[in-house]
Parts: sequence; C-alpha cells; structure tokens
Amino acid sequence: MIVGEQKPLAEIKEIVGPYRKLLILGCGTCVKTCFAGGEDEVATLASALRLIFKKEGQNIKIEEFTIERQCENEFIQEASEAIGRNDSVLSLACGAGVQAIARRFAKIPVLPGVNTTFIGVLESQGVFTEECSGCGNCELAIFGGVCPITRCSKKLLNGPCGGSRHGICEVSPDTECAWQLIIERLEALGQVHNLRCYISPKDWSSSNSGGPRRLVREDHII
Amino acid sequence: MNKPFKPKITLFHCINSFNESASLSLNGANNVEIKTVRLPCSSMVKDVFLLRSFESGADGVLVLVCPEDQCRYVEGSIRAKKRVGWVQNVLDEIGLDGRRLSIRNTSSGNGATTDKILQETVAVLTDLGPNPAA
Repeated sequence: MIVGEQKPLAEIKEIVGPYRKLLILGCGTCVKTCFAGGEDEVATLASALRLIFKKEGQNIKIEEFTIERQCENEFIQEASEAIGRNDSVLSLACGAGVQAIARRFAKIPVLPGVNTTFIGVLESQGVFTEECSGCGNCELAIFGGVCPITRCSKKLLNGPCGGSRHGICEVSPDTECAWQLIIERLEALGQVHNLRCYISPKDWSSSNSGGPRRLVREDHII
Repeated sequence: MNKPFKPKITLFHCINSFNESASLSLNGANNVEIKTVRLPCSSMVKDVFLLRSFESGADGVLVLVCPEDQCRYVEGSIRAKKRVGWVQNVLDEIGLDGRRLSIRNTSSGNGATTDKILQETVAVLTDLGPNPAA
C-alpha cells in the first residue's frame, strides 16, 4: 500500500487559511490503513481545525466526506456534490489522489493534507516499512522475495557490504540488513545458488528517472 | 459583577472504573457542571470524541480508566492513555492547552479518590479559565 503521514496541523492551517468553505476529503484505502487520511482522520482533523478557527474568531465552514478511493473516477464522482458546495478541497489522499481530484475539478483548489511517504507494508501495529521502490522491473525472484533496491541502504545487488553487524545495517540501527535477510531466505528455500548469479548494473530507465511512467492495457480499452 | 466561572467537564469513563451515583458529589457542590459518557472500556474513547467535547463547549475533559493491570480487555487503559497523550499535543498546537484534557486511573469502589481527582481537575480548569474555542 501507499504509506503517508498527515501534514502538521500548523502547515494545514496555513494551506487552508485563504478559503471560507473547505471540504476535507478522505480516502478509504491506503491512507486509511496507515492512519493518515481515512474517515476517522478526516473527523479528527475537521474538529481540530474548527477549534482553531473558532478560537481565532474566523468563520470557516468545514465539511467532511470520505470516498473509497480518490485515484479512480468512479469513486470521485460520489464526492462531486460535496466538492461543488465548497470553495476548496483538502485531500487526505496520497499525491495521486490529490492530482486525480484536481484534474477532475478544474476551478476548485485541491490542497494536499498528507505527505506521501513510500510503498510499504504494515510490519507491526503502528509500524510501517518501505518495501518497494516501484522501479518498474521486479527481480524479487532472484533475491528470495527481499528487495535489495529498496531495503539495502546502499542498493547493492551482488551481495552485502562489510557494514552489517548482527543482521543490522550500519546506516541505521532500525534497519535490518537486507542481504542478511536475502541469504537467510535463500537458505530456507534451498536457493543459495542464486547468489552465484551476477546481477548487471540496474537499468533505471523503467523507473521514475526516465520521466513519468504510463501503463497501457489495450485489452481494457474500448 | 462577573458571574463566577463554573467549569464544564465532559467525563469519559469505563463502566468498570467509576460509579457515577457514588462519585458525583461535586455536582452538588455547585461549582462544576459534569456531563458523563459511559464506555464499556476506556479504549473506546477516540481522538475525535475528545476534540468534539471541546467543540461542544467543554472547558475540560477527564478520562477515567481502570488501573493498567486491571483492564478486563487487557490493553484498554494503555490505549486510552496513548490517545489522550496524542490529543493533548493537538490541544497544545491549537492553543487550547493540553492540560484541559487529563486521564486518571481509578477503580469503581474508590469514591474518595474519584472526588479528589475531580477537585484537582476543577482546580486546573479554574486556573486555565473558560475554553477559548467554546
């Protein structure tokens, strides 16, 4: 899922300051799971903003609404009436959601309320970790399902560096050594021979460094 | 002459931590207005409920929870404490002062302790004055 974090309250207050009728629009998929932009977060943020504006004597009307996904027109349509009633939208979706809403409503400012952080997983309750860089050419089959591009701090593709101590990366004590994990996993799978494969330098043209990417599925286009 | 400040307190409590009929003697003292919200477990208290209490005019919010090692649902008191801590930070950011929200451990049979907690809460709120966002 896409992991994000709600922007600090002071920054959100600054962003929405110029507007008088604000819709806080939640997204019920990825950002809900990471407690950044689901229905609960929309309600809490709306309440906090109402308190701020009331305390400061500002009259800003705040409406709350959450849709299943902000990155699909089908769901965006459900929010169109609420968007039409307001003069601005604070989207608590990831960057893709914010842009999808902005594209659909040309005359209404769509403001970001969340910092989109990474593609990751829920490792344990309240802890999210980055697992995928979206490089566009997945090679997890060779690495036993552990991505060295994302999870090795040095993005090494042909074995570990000398900085791993007791399975922990020298860059941060919070980071497991991806190569330790790869080797353990390959041992468990009986695929240690994979380590003998030489991995040539990564071709980054399929990643974002080749410019914005586009995926076309002709079989779904009518 | 100004009317003396009578704090409005919204009191969230676990039904196992607090006995309303035995413990709300302060209401009779006429120096506080208490609105109670009973919860099957204090972990049911959500951030938005706490903030909306302030929106509804409360000068302070008090959450009464069971002692951490006596929660029937194991982690309820711990969860409530974490949420209260988070909302206290939000209140500080808003400028309402996080001290308007507090969480205290108590148990149902201990009316004397609960009275003392309420008196302390009233004292803090008297010092802070009315909710500026009410």
